[in-house]
Amino acid sequence: MPAAISVSGRRVECAEDQSILEAFLRAGVWMPNSCNQGTCGTCKLQVLCGDVDHRDSPLETLTADERASGLALACQARPLEDTEVALRGTETGRATHLLRDLTATVVDVEDVAHDTRRVRFGLEEPLAFSAGQYVEVLVPGTSKRRQYSLANTAQEDKVLELHVRRVPGGVASDWLFGPVSVGDRVEVRGPLGDFHVPDMDQDAGEPMVLIGGGTGLAPLLGIARTALERHPDRVMVLYHGVRTEADLYDTDRLTELAGTYPGFSVVTVLSRESAPGHRSGYAPDVFVEDIASARGWSGWLCGSPALVEAGVKAFKRRRMAPRLIHREKFEPADRRGPGA
Amino acid sequence: MTTTQQPGKQDLSWLDEVTMTELERNPYPTYERLRSEAPLAFVPVLGSYVASTAEICREVATSPDFEAVITPAGGRTFGHPAIIGVNGDIHADLRGMVEPQLQPVEVDSWVDDLVRPIARNYVEQFEDRGRAELVAEYCEPVSVRSLGDLLGLQSVSSDKLREWFHKLSVSFTNAAVDENGEFTNPDGFTPGDEARAEIQAVVDPLIDRWIEHPENTAISHWLHDGMPPGKTRDRAYIYPTIYVYLLGAMQEPGHGMASTLVGLFSRPEQMEEVVDDPSLLPRAISEGMRWTSPIWSATARISTKPVTVAGVDLPAGTPVILSYGSANHDSGTYDAPTAYDLHRPPLPHLAFGAGNHACAGIYYANQVMRIGLEELFEAIPNLERDTGEGVEFWGWGFRGPTSLHGTWEV
Ligand code: HEM
Ligand code: FES
Repeated sequence: MPAAISVSGRRVECAEDQSILEAFLRAGVWMPNSCNQGTCGTCKLQVLCGDVDHRDSPLETLTADERASGLALACQARPLEDTEVALRGTETGRATHLLRDLTATVVDVEDVAHDTRRVRFGLEEPLAFSAGQYVEVLVPGTSKRRQYSLANTAQEDKVLELHVRRVPGGVASDWLFGPVSVGDRVEVRGPLGDFHVPDMDQDAGEPMVLIGGGTGLAPLLGIARTALERHPDRVMVLYHGVRTEADLYDTDRLTELAGTYPGFSVVTVLSRESAPGHRSGYAPDVFVEDIASARGWSGWLCGSPALVEAGVKAFKRRRMAPRLIHREKFEPADRRGPGA
Repeated sequence: MTTTQQPGKQDLSWLDEVTMTELERNPYPTYERLRSEAPLAFVPVLGSYVASTAEICREVATSPDFEAVITPAGGRTFGHPAIIGVNGDIHADLRGMVEPQLQPVEVDSWVDDLVRPIARNYVEQFEDRGRAELVAEYCEPVSVRSLGDLLGLQSVSSDKLREWFHKLSVSFTNAAVDENGEFTNPDGFTPGDEARAEIQAVVDPLIDRWIEHPENTAISHWLHDGMPPGKTRDRAYIYPTIYVYLLGAMQEPGHGMASTLVGLFSRPEQMEEVVDDPSLLPRAISEGMRWTSPIWSATARISTKPVTVAGVDLPAGTPVILSYGSANHDSGTYDAPTAYDLHRPPLPHLAFGAGNHACAGIYYANQVMRIGLEELFEAIPNLERDTGEGVEFWGWGFRGPTSLHGTWEV
């Protein structure tokens, strides 16, 4: 019976006497390879579970130690049973916060801007997460889950703060702008997502620019506050892009933050009107006008797909390294995407 | 030997008209016809049989009835015993000499520390300028400086190393012969001879020093490793392989990076994907190697007994040139092979050769190209091709863009 072999969720059948490499390539799954004869080592991979026969893998290319630590040459090895592998250099064992199912209680609902609410959920036990991540809320009375970014810092771990925009006809929106009331109990699952502040040891205090569209501000609040606490002198610019002045919220909170941290500044950008104290236009364009070079900066984008795409282009135009660009896309409707 | 017609076979007299200049400017049309009409054919201007399809290149490169031979122009440029043209014990000794530094585990332990600072240094020279000629200012310097430092040639400038490989390269591929098998352009070897003289003048004193005081440089290891105490390999014995390095190993990672860039520029959406996700670089480079193989047609094999290949009977002692660059455009293997496509169905290519003479530096070369392009895109994520300048590829033996102008907003 042919054994199956899988990598990052792709599973392929490995026919009798087919190397792992050949099985993947024939199935259209690319993996590094060059010599296809066991001599260059380009196709080395990590066996995560299962077992392989190394066949003619030369000891020079794949040492005994490497075999013992579970490495294999894809162009030589054959799976002996269903086997899972990982490409080298891809993150496999990175520590993440445990995903948990919790019951939360609505503690506070507040209108903060036009069609925009802040909802706070209390937790019985603290939730471990990284600022910027999101949770899924099961909409009461339905089987629908909706994703919302957390505006919290990791220290604020017993009350979850979500920002919600009204979406006409959306189930979650109908509830959160309708019958929701303090004391409601809901099922919450989290934390989720890879849009979050870097771990402490990965954060050298580099300058940061954050662009949030509408309620895309939520995760940026958690990220900004965390990053400023870590490095109080760091340079940070936050752009909050909305349509009109009536859509702005948390401006006082941000102004206060700017008072505490001298390197931090906030720019509010209105796309559909002009008003004193605010810039007009599209937030990514305003960033391009303001910042001559973002070389060495990290960038954080949260909002509609269009905003995120435009932000990526703007950041690269100002020469920010793509590996330092972090993005979180909100889907437009009340369907998927944190904060929808 | 000008008539290339074989009984009962295609009329290949058109091959009599093929010139070296034509092959160097653009070998693809000639080879496309070869692949369809005669995957193994005698090409008069080269004075040799040529294998042009993936199947026949692989067959000849790995056949027990063939062994390695250096092309005549290659032998004239490098001398004997160059690793690419020897067999048996000498080949085993030379492979045993070069391989330890090139093993993946070994390479992994130093390649980042070696290449990344070099790449950063070159990118810093122009990153705020908003434009650069990327072949001469980046791809070639990153390639030669990395290998130069590895070999122990820190005292030789990158420009000198670039000059050397250019000169060796034109001599190595000065392949044209007349109907008597004599070189048509003997002056074409002058650059290579000049480079060799200069190389010896620089490397001889280093060898003198390393014989007495071994250092952790590749050439010092070549002198000492595996030798009885107090003995070193003779310098005349290792020089031809030093030239192999100073040509191919110096030039090709630069070619590879530049060709990959040109390929990506031809597909702006794929360029953007790779810039945004550098983990795609190994795949982008692999496709770059397939698309324009840096060692396009530079190595050969010779039959050790009478054999039949692709329906052609070859007597013992018949050389066959391996045109890997053509094999990698074989439409029997690849759809639309002339297009660069990051997402084409992934199939192995032959850019690093095959058999026991396959490239010894694959792993190292792939890392140099990866780190080089990573640093370029990290510093200049808004890189574009300067469309005011053309891109020209050149070469039959070795092939890559002669220049590549980039621009970006600063
Ligand atoms: C992208 C860069 C490179 C490419 C495309 C390439 C490709 C090749 C090819 C096609 C051959 C001939 C294989 C055959 O005849 O079947 C070869 C041979 C060789 N290459 Fe590379 N090469 C590259 C870089 C390097 C580097 C950086 C080194 C050393 C550090 C190196 C070391 C060698 C050696 C020693 C041989 C001779 C092997 C033998 O004849 O046993 N190559 N290379
Ligand atoms: S591809 Fe070279 S060792 Fe597998």
